[in-house]
Amino acid sequence: MRSRTIRAVAAGVGVIALTAGLSGCGTSAEGEVTTLNFFQYKGEALEDFNLIIEQFEAENPDIDVVQNQVADSETAIRTLLVKDRAPDVITLNANASFGQLAKAGVFYDFSDEPVLETINPAVQEILADLGTADDEVNGLGYVNNANGIIYNRAIFAEQGIEVPETWDELIAVCEQLQAAGISPFAATLAESWTVMPSWNAIGAYAAQDGFFDEMREEGDTVGADSPVSFEKDFADTMDRQLQLFGYAQDGYRGASYDDGSAIFANGEAAMMMQGIWALSPVKNINPDIDAAIFPYPVPENPDDRLLVSGVDVVVTMAKDSPHQAEAKRFIEFMFRPDIVEQFAASQTMIPAVDGAALSDDPALQSVKPYFDAGRITGFIDHQVPPAIPLVGVVQQAVFDQDGGPALRTLDNEWRKVAARTIPVTED
Amino acid sequence: MTTLTEAVRTTATGEKKRRATRMLNRGSRAQSTYYWMVWPALIAFAAFHTLPMIIGIFFSFTNYAGYGEWNFVGVANYLNLFRDDRVLQAYGFSFLFAIVATILTNVISLTIAMGLNAKIRARNFWRGVYFVPYVLAILVIGYVFQFLFSNSLPKILSGIPLFAENILTNPDWAWTAIVALAVWQACAFSIIIYLAGLQTIPGELYEAASLDGAKPWRQFRSITFPLISAFFTINVVLSLKGFLQVFDPIISLTNGGPGTSTESVTMLIFRGGFSGGEFAYQTANAVVFFIVITIVSLLQFRVLQRREADFS
Repeated sequence: MRSRTIRAVAAGVGVIALTAGLSGCGTSAEGEVTTLNFFQYKGEALEDFNLIIEQFEAENPDIDVVQNQVADSETAIRTLLVKDRAPDVITLNANASFGQLAKAGVFYDFSDEPVLETINPAVQEILADLGTADDEVNGLGYVNNANGIIYNRAIFAEQGIEVPETWDELIAVCEQLQAAGISPFAATLAESWTVMPSWNAIGAYAAQDGFFDEMREEGDTVGADSPVSFEKDFADTMDRQLQLFGYAQDGYRGASYDDGSAIFANGEAAMMMQGIWALSPVKNINPDIDAAIFPYPVPENPDDRLLVSGVDVVVTMAKDSPHQAEAKRFIEFMFRPDIVEQFAASQTMIPAVDGAALSDDPALQSVKPYFDAGRITGFIDHQVPPAIPLVGVVQQAVFDQDGGPALRTLDNEWRKVAARTIPVTED
Repeated sequence: MTTLTEAVRTTATGEKKRRATRMLNRGSRAQSTYYWMVWPALIAFAAFHTLPMIIGIFFSFTNYAGYGEWNFVGVANYLNLFRDDRVLQAYGFSFLFAIVATILTNVISLTIAMGLNAKIRARNFWRGVYFVPYVLAILVIGYVFQFLFSNSLPKILSGIPLFAENILTNPDWAWTAIVALAVWQACAFSIIIYLAGLQTIPGELYEAASLDGAKPWRQFRSITFPLISAFFTINVVLSLKGFLQVFDPIISLTNGGPGTSTESVTMLIFRGGFSGGEFAYQTANAVVFFIVITIVSLLQFRVLQRREADFS
């Protein structure tokens, strides 16, 4: 008797769990409305995507798009893919994890889709570097961010400073600001991730010409004697990064990201080693700030400067979605220049679609030439296996003002991870 | 409180108790009601603890990344663990942290418990106050402490360079801040156990001792400490076990940083396994850690129980 009750309760719980899991899936029948399940990772873009869906549904009454905004999207999408319950349309942040999933061959191949022609090839190059299944195109870049040095244009104008185009000019700018009693940089070492934007941007130059491809090839032989290694190729990167942190405000070692935003917003520091995303907290404090971005002027020749840019939103769909035709219609709608413009302007991002105009935000306008000329490159930390504690190691190096041990640690970790990563063999 | 006292006592007098229960049960079978009280807990424990653990042990012999395909790789994960200096460093941190925190917790809470057991004014009020940290969620307290360390202390103690520059960002000393938080929280529970122990000591013993001319220190050494040694054992074992698995205080204070200087074993397992995509490798680490903790706890019981006095 009692065991039957328990069974009934257990079954009840199971049914509830199942329906909760399935509620996102749609049903379709001939002549009826098709429901598309739209997996969306970006919390702050919820409203903007709702607007796009509204506009789309007005033009396509036979499709109903349901937006599922998920926290911790990377775990969620993996779980869904493993259980063969892939959403119809997927947006993700294009990072190392996206590359891993693409390599596993779970996404659709967009190679022959006309919409691919409309996207900036440099953006698609960044996506391809993360990893793809064979030679497929597994994702479409939607909007990009920009990572450089954010500077306060009002302070630069007051001090009569031009945007530096070489490393020596940048250091001269720092000296001049310091002499005028202004902190050159607002840095925030208490939060470890804030050392990464500058490491990514300066290191991007060292990582050109297939550095990471060679590192992967060397695998567990990476070290001081191997043809390429962090110790050999990144010493200059670390030196430059440490040099810039030497111009940070007093107490930067204990400062948090919010502290840094406040210092920059109030004009107490002239520059920040941060990407375009940092402008939104700054504008919360001081909406009138006049800020723009320039790339790290590492190369001798100013024409060789590259802007580091990540694909903030990549759009893709599952390989075997049952509603592929409808999903493609929604994707094509999203990539219409007027739609992507509206989204990018609201999110302060750079649209990846050729011909889509940027909003007149000075920060966006300042990086536009690099996108137009295709002089952009990806975040290099996406190329480092996530099992390596990269962020902590770089933070430690900046704390100690010594890059040597950090680079040796990175080589050592690379070697170990390569040695213990045993690829899955197909049988 | 008496049930707790008895539970602790059984570590010292377990044999006797067990025999007594057996005698009571002879002749009359227990009512089926009692079985129904036991089964749900057992089933839940097996389903949510034992079974996942066995599955985990199984996956530690594969190259499973947490998703997708996998193969068996034998003991490769275990061999690689011993070659990984990051793992060894995490063990070093966990043990250093656990030993220091265990000593501090037990010294401080025994002292406070003795104070709370004396005939002080508003005794129950003070007992309540010292129990509050146990009730509060450690993450909440953690963020309060984080604010203290990174905003308040640098201003209050601006003369001391270590505090003036936010101790949490000092690779050599950040661990002491974590010890402070962990000990502050752990003391509450230890105090309760010690209080329970102190209340079991008959007052006549102290009377007799003071008639014989024993000074307070001598009374503590010869009466108090030996008679609460069972409570001392359970407290030391529980706190060392708990501190070896330290996780939340680190998350709220330093998140393993600066660098990897405050990375404990549990934190490494969590980070490497979930965000690092090395599920199988870190599961192997977890299996090893489970064995290490079991051995350490058993050793402690053996060593400490031998020293326990029994007056009943």
